[in-house]
Amino acid sequence: MDGGKVTLGRAAGLYAGAAVLRLAIFSLLPALPDLLTGRVEISTPVTSFKRLQEGLFLYNHNVSPYDGGVYHQAPLFLPLFSLLPSYATFPFLTNFLYVIVDLLSANALWKIAESGEAGASAHFTSPRREKRWSGFVIAATFLFNPFTVATCIGRSTSVFTTCAILHAVAKAVSGAPFGAMAALAFASYLSMYPLLLLPPIMLLAYDRQNPTRAIRSPLKFSLACTTTVALISAALLGMSYLLTGSWEFLAATYGVQLTLSDLTPNVGLWWYFFIEMFDSFRSFFLAVFWLHLSCYVGGLCVRIRSQPLAVITLLLGIFAIFKPYPSISDTSLFLALVPLYRHVLPLMRYSFVIAAVILYCVLLGPAFYHLWIYAGSGNANFFYAITLVWGLGQSLLVCDLMFAVLRDEWEVERPEMVGKEIRQI
Amino acid sequence: MPPAPTTLSFNTHRARSYVVRLPLFTRAVLATIILFWILGLQTWWDVRQWGALIPSEISFATLYRMNTFPFIHLNIFHVIMNMLALTPLLERFEAEYGTLTTLALFFGLMGASIWVFLLLGMEAIRTYKTNPYFVLGTHNIPTWTTPILVLFCVSALVPSASFLGHLSGLIVGYVCGFGYVKYLAPPEKILRWIEGKLNLLGRLPHYVSVDQKTYGRFGVLPSTSSPVPPAVGLVQAPLESTPRSKRDNEEVAGLEETGALERRRHDGATTGALRLRRDPRIMKLPPYMSLLFVIVGVVWLLLLPFDQYSRRTYISENALLPGQVHTYFSGSDQNVLRAYKHEVNALVGKSNVQINDKLESILKGIGLKTARQNFTYHAAGHAISGQNLYAILQAPRGDATEAIVLVAAWENAKHEVNRNGIPLALTLLRYFKRWSLWSKDIILVITPDSIAGPQAWVDAYHDAHNPSQVAGLPLKSGALQGAIAIDYAQETRYDSVHIVYDGVNGQLPNLDLINSVVHIARGQMGIGVALQEMWRHTDSYQDRLSTMLRGMLKQGLGLASGPHSSFMPYHVDAVTLQPFGSGWHDEMAMGRVIEGTFRSLNNLLEHLHQSFFFYLLMSRDRFVSIGTYLPSAMLVAASFTIMAIALWVKSGQPEKEDGKESDDKDVSTAVVERDLFLPLGVVILCQSLSIIPLYLFNHASETFLTPSFLFFTLLSTLLPHALSFYLTSARNTPATAQHYHLLKSFSLLLLGMFLSSLATLNFSLSLIIGLLASPLTFLCYPAKTALGRALSMGLLHVLSPTTAVLLVGLAATQSGGLGGVLLEAAKAWHVSGTWTSLVVWCVWWPAWIVGGVVVLGRVGERKVKTL
Repeated sequence: MDGGKVTLGRAAGLYAGAAVLRLAIFSLLPALPDLLTGRVEISTPVTSFKRLQEGLFLYNHNVSPYDGGVYHQAPLFLPLFSLLPSYATFPFLTNFLYVIVDLLSANALWKIAESGEAGASAHFTSPRREKRWSGFVIAATFLFNPFTVATCIGRSTSVFTTCAILHAVAKAVSGAPFGAMAALAFASYLSMYPLLLLPPIMLLAYDRQNPTRAIRSPLKFSLACTTTVALISAALLGMSYLLTGSWEFLAATYGVQLTLSDLTPNVGLWWYFFIEMFDSFRSFFLAVFWLHLSCYVGGLCVRIRSQPLAVITLLLGIFAIFKPYPSISDTSLFLALVPLYRHVLPLMRYSFVIAAVILYCVLLGPAFYHLWIYAGSGNANFFYAITLVWGLGQSLLVCDLMFAVLRDEWEVERPEMVGKEIRQI
Repeated sequence: MPPAPTTLSFNTHRARSYVVRLPLFTRAVLATIILFWILGLQTWWDVRQWGALIPSEISFATLYRMNTFPFIHLNIFHVIMNMLALTPLLERFEAEYGTLTTLALFFGLMGASIWVFLLLGMEAIRTYKTNPYFVLGTHNIPTWTTPILVLFCVSALVPSASFLGHLSGLIVGYVCGFGYVKYLAPPEKILRWIEGKLNLLGRLPHYVSVDQKTYGRFGVLPSTSSPVPPAVGLVQAPLESTPRSKRDNEEVAGLEETGALERRRHDGATTGALRLRRDPRIMKLPPYMSLLFVIVGVVWLLLLPFDQYSRRTYISENALLPGQVHTYFSGSDQNVLRAYKHEVNALVGKSNVQINDKLESILKGIGLKTARQNFTYHAAGHAISGQNLYAILQAPRGDATEAIVLVAAWENAKHEVNRNGIPLALTLLRYFKRWSLWSKDIILVITPDSIAGPQAWVDAYHDAHNPSQVAGLPLKSGALQGAIAIDYAQETRYDSVHIVYDGVNGQLPNLDLINSVVHIARGQMGIGVALQEMWRHTDSYQDRLSTMLRGMLKQGLGLASGPHSSFMPYHVDAVTLQPFGSGWHDEMAMGRVIEGTFRSLNNLLEHLHQSFFFYLLMSRDRFVSIGTYLPSAMLVAASFTIMAIALWVKSGQPEKEDGKESDDKDVSTAVVERDLFLPLGVVILCQSLSIIPLYLFNHASETFLTPSFLFFTLLSTLLPHALSFYLTSARNTPATAQHYHLLKSFSLLLLGMFLSSLATLNFSLSLIIGLLASPLTFLCYPAKTALGRALSMGLLHVLSPTTAVLLVGLAATQSGGLGGVLLEAAKAWHVSGTWTSLVVWCVWWPAWIVGGVVVLGRVGERKVKTL
């Protein structure tokens, strides 16, 4: 690895390579994008490109896009996509937009990697930090990760959320709390769940403030951050209101995520559970599931206070498992941040098992979905069983990464235990 | 200095030894609590009223309550919770202060859950003294606060818990812990005197003497102190049963030096599973396990035909009611049939369009709506084109939401003209038209051939066709519920009906459909039934086995076997009926079989779903379901995965230069860092190269198929040599043993993964490929001598995908040898969408290439860094 210098040539080469790969797939395999758009692993009700087209059609014909109950995405997508030429006649610009968004995400990731925050934060410096991958490698693993490519080709709108989250982290790392909060507000506006990242990003931004104009009081800082997020979110929601002329978009976008009214299958754990649920228990279990999703935030922030970036990484992994409408796009975001912890990867114990489980799921998931939907010889349990295994694989990765991070910290406190066998409690 | 807390993971050994070693007073208290609970079960004496601490009842005479109330509890849960909480704390207290002191202190004072909080308070103070804070985030929190938290939790969670009682206990505990009430304890001198006088130590078991009390004992929780000698092997387990007293003495003696304690604790961590994991013998097992799995998989398969493992078939769907209706297809319809036969015989040899013109006029004459569809498929330079004709009988009682299909191909799979099938289908339609009981539309499809025509029609019916090759259907009906194809080329009377049921890619129709046909043909009409071309089936083991194996071979090849095959991918259950043999049944009996089957399908309320979709039939009335047979394919697939995991572990172990495991401490976590890039790169390269044969053999035109195959065989033989040359000689640093382990590990992992996924879709194909590829597990080690290398490589070549295709080509002489086989494969790929070639070239071939590279690999000098 070189010293981590962002040489313009390498960056340009990487980005050009990634862009060419994507554009080549778009143009050489014209049937693939629509195939991927239809896959439940890639498109969820809240990110599907097909549903976006439907909303766009209604919007362009001056009908509320939320009529018909198909479109569940943020209203501000509509003017953006209606500015572009129609996808049916001239798809290039839309494809190009998706490619650009991927490249922007990679750029943010590069910045995060180069900051060295993963190895040395304000409160903790890992003794292993020398062993790390450069921004180039990390951006490349993100850009050429099949999950990322498939998400981009499937034109899921989650790429915008991914981009906003990565930029929020990148801004926080580079000592720009305001930018971080703005990006986070955008991410939350697009898919709501990133709001849960507010505490760790606040911690990260607090730790990485520019010393010349730092707000030292934690209370003041958090107040300022929260206010910023609230104001920008309010502005975005207000614009949405002006655009659609009513507040019904709140129920159709965030309401759907909160109440899981659309039970289209996906790779997550919610849909099957709520299909089976009696109506009288529904609201209780919705509350439990959401509480479960959000309860990790506080615990992780407290426990790994010294490494807020690790908290963000782990939380993104947890969201990719337990969120209401997860897709492989969320997994790709998590997997994008995992290589930042190159220095603790040797401390992980189950890397082979995790890789094998995830690969098995990648093969068995579509096979069982085929048996259920097309061949008719299987049923929903087949697919759900595989999504459970998929969740298991990812939670193994989350746990193991957490173990590695904690062990790294612990070995600093207890140098005599370095290299000894220990057990996790 | 007390050692760091470790986990209290559950271990039966330890739990037993813990219970066995509880000191006297603790035992007594537990026994009393249980005793009082049992006493409380009866009704005539209210124990609670008698023993509880009730302030208004306290007088001089009832002072005993001060001592009895700890033993009285509200209910069984209260008892259990208190016992669980009390035991470890009291045990430690007693071990520290001696039995007599505990007895003296606790009698006169306190009560069970209050004792718990008292002891907790003392514990907390003790912990606080040695380890004042625990760290939460960046904040230090004093440890003495924990019991207070516990207290609040308990009072919040447990109804009717005595908050005040617990709080008092806690406060007293704190006070004791700080040592303010030391004077309450009886002087040691007196205790020792009592002990000496009564010889308590000698008389009472489990007695803890005053002199044995040790403050260090607190660090040695019994759960972590089971003295396990240094982990070397499995032989240590019996030592756990060392006589208790002796061990206790040892332990007490050892407490003087903390160094010994530390060592013991370290050893304590390396127990059970860990020790097993480090046993060098474990690493020798996987190849044998893998072999065992393959053998068990094959034996399992051979057991299936026995009565104990297979089941009799049965009709699962109630609505079908096969054979429950009278069939009226007879009498005058025979004259109609004869007339149609005459018309059809006149058409033999005419062109597709001329045939369709004539047949269409007949169908129109019956009064049906008709339509035609053109199709042209291109495969291997061939154009397969034709025109389908179909007619729809609209159900008098239906709403055109469902339909049943009758297929009659002009030519069957062997290119014989369907001389009886077409007239029979026409007559049946004419007959069906007269009945008013149909609730589903009936569609008659007449196709020019048995494979492409039905495929084009079904694809277009479901709008899944490629418009550049296949025309759309101008006329449609509802969702297809089932399809029956007639293949009746035989001119003479017949004896039995052959049911063909294999779909494309090994998909099968619902077993209920086959059972219905068997039931109607055999039970109602008295016609024999045969499966898988087993013209004579005596229901012996051999016959069952060969029926099953033929079925598996057909399923594995995944080719379309008749007009019905194309329907299966669209979840339309279908079979082809072929009369065979010579007997006394005529066309009308065949017609009645079809009539009966249609009446059954007409009854269906929903798609066939009740019965099995995954099964192996071994005679017309015996089958095994997926639950019984799947393990054999999964075992074969798992044999690859086991080796992959073993090789991964092996690649992480340090090289054997230091001989045997020298020092158990260092071996434990010393994992060699793995260099993943080279092996991953080779595996990915081989996997992506596999696109070449797949594309080549599906797109080359017929004349080039055989030459290009031979050329490819040559290249594929040389490729492992070239790759291995690159790995060993051409690079600056030759590949190490670790590289080869990883290479093989990844390749086998992928193979196992593909095969186990495939087993859920096409069991037979997965099993066949798995068995053919299984030598890759055992054969492929970097050979030490040139001879070994040559031998292994020769064996590999015998079992290569290219050899397999060559052999199939040699065997299939009647279908045009190698060229014919490759042509059929290309046609199947383009027309029916058969995956078999994909599996052969993109799953088996890359694994074979990597296997060859590993066999040829020569280990370079070791350059591995230890982490």
